[in-house]
Amino acid sequence: MREKATTLYLGPQHPGITGNMMIRLKVEGDTIVGATTEVGYLHRAFEKLQEKRNWLQSFTLMCRFCVPETDPMEESYARAVEAIEGREVPERAKYIRVMVLELARLASFMLWYGGQNGSLGLYTMGQWSVGDRNYILDLFEELTGGRVYHMYIWPGGVRRDLPKGFEQRVLKTLNYLEKRLDDYDDLMFDNAIFKKRVQGVGIVNKEKAIEHGVVGPVLRGCGIKSDIRIDDPYEVYDKLDFEVPTSDGADIWARALVRRREARQSIRIIRQVIDMMPGGSVYNKIPNPQKWTLPKGDAYVRTESVRGEIGMYIASDGGLNPRRVHLRGAAYVHAITLLEDVLIGENIADVSAIMNSLGTCPPEIER
Amino acid sequence: MNMQEIKENLITHVKANFPEAAEKEFDGNRLDFNVDKQCIPSILTYLKDRLGYIHLSHIACVDWLEEGEFEIIFIVWSPEEKMKVFIRTRIDREKPVMPNIDMIWRQANTYERELREMFGVEFIGLEAPDEFLLEDWGGPPPMRRDFDTEAYADDTFWHRPGREDALDVREEIIRRSREEIPDFAKKYSR
Amino acid sequence: MINDKNSQKIVDIIQNWSRKHSIWVLAYGTGCGAIEIPPTMTSRYDAERLGVRGAATPRQADVLLITGYLTTKTLKRVIRVYEQMQDPKYVIGFGSCTINGGMYYDSYNTIKVLDKYLPVDVYINGCMPRPEAVLAGFGKLQQLIAEGKANGATKYKENLEWYRGNQKKIIPNWVMPEYNW
Repeated sequence: MREKATTLYLGPQHPGITGNMMIRLKVEGDTIVGATTEVGYLHRAFEKLQEKRNWLQSFTLMCRFCVPETDPMEESYARAVEAIEGREVPERAKYIRVMVLELARLASFMLWYGGQNGSLGLYTMGQWSVGDRNYILDLFEELTGGRVYHMYIWPGGVRRDLPKGFEQRVLKTLNYLEKRLDDYDDLMFDNAIFKKRVQGVGIVNKEKAIEHGVVGPVLRGCGIKSDIRIDDPYEVYDKLDFEVPTSDGADIWARALVRRREARQSIRIIRQVIDMMPGGSVYNKIPNPQKWTLPKGDAYVRTESVRGEIGMYIASDGGLNPRRVHLRGAAYVHAITLLEDVLIGENIADVSAIMNSLGTCPPEIER
Repeated sequence: MNMQEIKENLITHVKANFPEAAEKEFDGNRLDFNVDKQCIPSILTYLKDRLGYIHLSHIACVDWLEEGEFEIIFIVWSPEEKMKVFIRTRIDREKPVMPNIDMIWRQANTYERELREMFGVEFIGLEAPDEFLLEDWGGPPPMRRDFDTEAYADDTFWHRPGREDALDVREEIIRRSREEIPDFAKKYSR
Repeated sequence: MINDKNSQKIVDIIQNWSRKHSIWVLAYGTGCGAIEIPPTMTSRYDAERLGVRGAATPRQADVLLITGYLTTKTLKRVIRVYEQMQDPKYVIGFGSCTINGGMYYDSYNTIKVLDKYLPVDVYINGCMPRPEAVLAGFGKLQQLIAEGKANGATKYKENLEWYRGNQKKIIPNWVMPEYNW
């Protein structure tokens, strides 16, 4: 006999959910037959606040959009403002930006390692990877003064030059992390429990990916080679040599394999950047921020974050403040329509793993 | 094909089917088309199915309060040609109505829900729950330029007053370190 | 039953001492401060050595961590969660935006002063507070508990009408159960 569908509220207070959001599940037994996401628990109205802030004050709001990885937003904002104004960025600043972005990616991957395993009840990985993530945050602290919010990449370059001997400390940390990534592989990808729980779960195939406008590792996990850093290169990514890993499985396992190889590519990029780093100044002075106006126009820039493409649209009316800033993160497409679609037919116990695998980050949706 | 040829090719194709579309060229891989709102679904379908612009990257809305118009911008991306195309349209601010495009790309549904809530733009035939980010919101659509967020916050929420016993810390620093404040710093009073 | 005043005192001391060493934090990341909770709980900072650990549901939790700004929509859920928690319970306001709104002082959707709506025992300032600051905040809470001064829950019960009035002012559609303790 078929059981009657029951409604189950997952979140906003739930240990397995990836942030402050809620999913209303319709379940028959243990199987999900319908899902509706409800978001808006983190809506701070950044875009409204920025209409009242000047161009430099807006920049401090930028990094607070989504916390696991704060630098892509700063970089997008800086690059969009530079595009509207036509401001040049010194070569050295571009290399430093790439280094910071890739360090942020690496830190975000470490958090993902912990989250993906924690969602399946494997807590050892969280102790390892989130603990090791602190070494990257220490570097950020030395460079920018903050562990999470850096406010370092600003229009015109970066805020200050690298401290003396910083490159060596980065390389030392990378050598350590590279060894640790092998340990993570032993713990995660050789783990029978992890394999059994994730293989064949949370399928996003090619057709679904195109229909839903999927981006980032989820798109690469279904065999489509797509990366903003290659397709629409920004900063100095076109001068760097790195691979875009793909996988054909289209399930959580495939996306985990993609991320595992991407973390190593990030290390490779940082090493290249440190080798190629030119000298010179790190920022072109901006005018007095109280009087700084941008010409009328708009710009749309895209950045590759760990979760996928981040798009930032900025319109200027020639005044002191942005006319309109609109940010779209990867979770904006992943966490609502795609998640509602993917969850159907899955088990309740797998919801958390699927959300982690799709890169659901609620603050990015709600801003 | 280099970027200029791609752009010319694209303009020829779009112009042949949508003669009223007004193009604007930019440096790099960006091309703008200004169109009427009625042909938004058809031009997007044409770009997606015929020209390979398979990725809808963004839908943004700008409130031009002084001109009494909303500008809606659709940004599509072609992974083959590495080109961003902006489809822009202007609609009346008083009765903002737009055609719905969420049958072309499913994720457009989310963008449209947000525009409906934040700007009050109505999308004909949009099927989605009424509330997206806000709950029990009684005021005007908040992202419109004429909504004053600071006045609303002052009316609705408490603000913690500043401390009355707050001292000018610079005097304390001088007392401790016996250093003078430079003249240029004196004008930045607390 | 213990009626002797001195014996009651000794019982209180033992109770507070044991409560102090077992603080279970509700796993509810209400804002962006939730990003510094995993580092605090994991190997480097290891809050569990102080008896601080996560709890999955409100019924088992002792501490409600308000990690940052609260939107009006979340506030409704937070009140519900707080009222589901069992005594003894404490609230920690985490981050500048719980104290005075922080950089969202003019946002139409976030509350500015948390202690108008919930009784806050300890505030941790900073944006973002470091794990050391979080540990210091828990240390302060432990000290208050040992001294018997962390009585936010009692304050909430005694002044329920005032808190309810404030809460209902910004939550127009009040569909929550009315508790009477």
